[in-house]
Amino acid sequence: MAHQWGMVIDLDRCNGCEACVVACHAENNISTVGEEQAALSRAKHWIRVERYYEGEFPDVRVKFMPVLCQQCDAAPCEAVCPTYASYHTTEGLNGQVYNRCIGTRYCANACPYVVRYFNFFNPVWDKPLHLQLNPDVSIREVGVMEKCTFCVQRIKAREIQAAAEKRELRDGEIQPACVQSCPTRAMVFGDLSDAESEVSRLARSSRATKLLGELGTRPKVNYLPQDTWHDSENA
Amino acid sequence: MPITSAIYGLFPDASSAERAMSSLDHSGISPKRIVVMSSEPFDEYSFSKMDEATPMPWLAVIGGIVGGTCGFLLARLTQEAYPQPLITGGMPILAAWPTGIVTYELTMLCAVLATVVTLLISTKLPNWKPELYDPEVSNGKILIGVLEPSNAALAEIENRLLDAGAEQVKLTGRALAG
Amino acid sequence: MTAKTPEQITNDLLRPLSGISAPYALWAALLAGMAVAALYAFFYQVYTGLGVSGLRSPVFWGFYITNFVFWIGLSHAGTLISAILRLSNATWRRPVTRCAEVITVFALSIGATFPIIHLGRPWLAFFLFPYPSERGIWPNIRSPLLWDFFAINTYLISSVTFLLLPMVPDLALVRDRSTGWKQKIYRAVALGWTGTPRQWHRLETAMHIMAIAVIPVAVSVHSIVSWDFAMAPVPMWHSTIFAPYFVAGAIFSGIAALILAMALLRKFLHLEEYLLPIHFENLGKLLLVMSLLWFYFVFAERLTTWYGNEPSEMAVFWVTQHGSYAPLFWAMVFCNFLIPFPILAIKKLRTITGTAIASFTVVIGMWLERFLIIVPSLSHKYLPYRWGTYRPTWVEITITAGTFCSMVLLYMIFSKIVPIISVWELKAGMHEEPHALRLAAQPDRVEAD
Repeated sequence: MAHQWGMVIDLDRCNGCEACVVACHAENNISTVGEEQAALSRAKHWIRVERYYEGEFPDVRVKFMPVLCQQCDAAPCEAVCPTYASYHTTEGLNGQVYNRCIGTRYCANACPYVVRYFNFFNPVWDKPLHLQLNPDVSIREVGVMEKCTFCVQRIKAREIQAAAEKRELRDGEIQPACVQSCPTRAMVFGDLSDAESEVSRLARSSRATKLLGELGTRPKVNYLPQDTWHDSENA
Repeated sequence: MPITSAIYGLFPDASSAERAMSSLDHSGISPKRIVVMSSEPFDEYSFSKMDEATPMPWLAVIGGIVGGTCGFLLARLTQEAYPQPLITGGMPILAAWPTGIVTYELTMLCAVLATVVTLLISTKLPNWKPELYDPEVSNGKILIGVLEPSNAALAEIENRLLDAGAEQVKLTGRALAG
Repeated sequence: MTAKTPEQITNDLLRPLSGISAPYALWAALLAGMAVAALYAFFYQVYTGLGVSGLRSPVFWGFYITNFVFWIGLSHAGTLISAILRLSNATWRRPVTRCAEVITVFALSIGATFPIIHLGRPWLAFFLFPYPSERGIWPNIRSPLLWDFFAINTYLISSVTFLLLPMVPDLALVRDRSTGWKQKIYRAVALGWTGTPRQWHRLETAMHIMAIAVIPVAVSVHSIVSWDFAMAPVPMWHSTIFAPYFVAGAIFSGIAALILAMALLRKFLHLEEYLLPIHFENLGKLLLVMSLLWFYFVFAERLTTWYGNEPSEMAVFWVTQHGSYAPLFWAMVFCNFLIPFPILAIKKLRTITGTAIASFTVVIGMWLERFLIIVPSLSHKYLPYRWGTYRPTWVEITITAGTFCSMVLLYMIFSKIVPIISVWELKAGMHEEPHALRLAAQPDRVEAD
């Protein structure tokens, strides 16, 4: 059976350091937009860490939640793209084909997670930062939508390597940049169609939930919310 | 086929045109050679009742069916065209409802286009060199005349037109000379 | 209206075609200037990037899509009204039909440019067209934007033919009265029309068929435009009421635009004897019905939302009614219902001036309604962390203003080259329904202009 890539994020372990955000920028050639554009909500953080404050001083609690493209199996963004720029791959990823994108931004409106980002201007890297661009990832021009791809370039590279070495992929061999850089190992990536993989095992946990699962998008990112003894809801 | 001669009268209103028409009908001239022109439709008068039958509605329906078929095939083709079937939104490769919408739109479009084409062909428009025309028609006159009249009949036709109330009777082509 | 001979009618209705006055030239220059400014703004946007607009995450659609929906909605005036009035044999329609059809063609053309204006890469807009490319790119017909493509093109072609076909006899009329290079042009476009019974029968049959065909097309067009929103899982977008709601709103704004256009034409082209108080009275009654219908739809939608109390939808509901969008929301209710309703319901106020004022407020109100459907929902989606705002920039405002000016300019140019009232239809009405026109001409009250 074809691989079905998925992810589990343990919110108990996430401490909001945002190393994943930085690593994603570095790996996927995402430019920074500058202070002014960021104030206009145009920053392109393919993975973002949401912060929620609860309670009053001195009992304030902060909850962190990394949100990235959920690679939904029933993705609302795919059906509305008029040029098939957003489509579902056989390995369960939501693919974004930059060459087909004409920038209608319908997919961004349809996405309930607001994880799609638009290039409002041509991306700019001040020298010498242009030297650190990843040659495996294309640069998107102005007018094109982009979003998290589960580092599909790394997935493809490992698959090609494994095929060349005539072996199966090992669980945990593929790590997107965010998973690789997380210091607390809060993120786990793997093959959901393999029942023995760590990601499948964690996804079967009684703590596992899906963000906005009630909308019927069938996302592939499972969240393990913070431990029950803090929350009165999950008794 | 260009005509070589014609005789016609210009009538100021519908009732005189009606009289002229019935007069010409009774004179034995073949209806194919009688010509009527006006700057507005006079559907309720008998002089206007020639050439009514048209298959245009049926042709519009046929155009619609052709368009609908094309729309359906187009929708099917674009959905199956990719070598590796592209799934979007968890929907089937051949989505019924959108196919229906595209089919419907192309049905209506082709029905309209069929109507326009039928109109142009059956009225033989554009025809920038009409056989017979008088700009007086645009001043509200109704033109009733006979194409290719025989020389013998010329005087009789002229009398009939004048008796019915023609303001002017004109001749064109060979009739002028002869 | 004193009884006019066909000769007088022809003279009256062809008079606007001769000569250009100084005020006309001045207005045309101003409007053209604004249109050029809009064109500059658009090219600046293409060159620099959509970032020069006010769009941002999560409000990825703003002024441009508002304008798109607004203009497509406005275009339902003409063809729909003209077709419905023709099919129901409403005798008072004759001077109104071409005014209406012209609105449709121009509003639709303007509306159809906005999907291109709002694209991130507009030079690739042809990807929407199903053609076999060597890269194997085909459009995705699951996307409502593609349904838009087919529907709007169908409606545009239908409306253009619906306008042009009955224009041919009038173009022949102008051809016979003009000289020189003008006559050459009119001769070409009049297609050699002579006016034989065969031609008249075929034309009227074609008009009848097209009137029947264009009504379902018009309904489908705005339903499909509404599904651009209803097909996305956005709070207060994903509602089944959107299709009929939008169609009703479109007819509403269309009738208002028609009344406004007629009032202006009447004043500037001196058509007081052809565009009579009875026409404004009847259209005013239709506008009243549509205002009530609009109110009914808005009430039904908001009641259902409020009663359902779904948190994400209620966020949008409250921000529109009590929050930052409240001023615009209540302005919309005023403009669409509270002001027009008394004007149109009270017979004494339903004069030409009254209906024109009501129509003006409706046009503003309907533009606001499109804005309020799009932006509050997008700025308050399911994740509160990503709620946002929207503010247009000079680029969007200039382009919006430019399109309004272009519409007026196109209308002005059209009224100078083609009689804005269908001469042959009016003359035909005089002998086909003489009693109706006598009734129409009876002044049942003194008309205070």
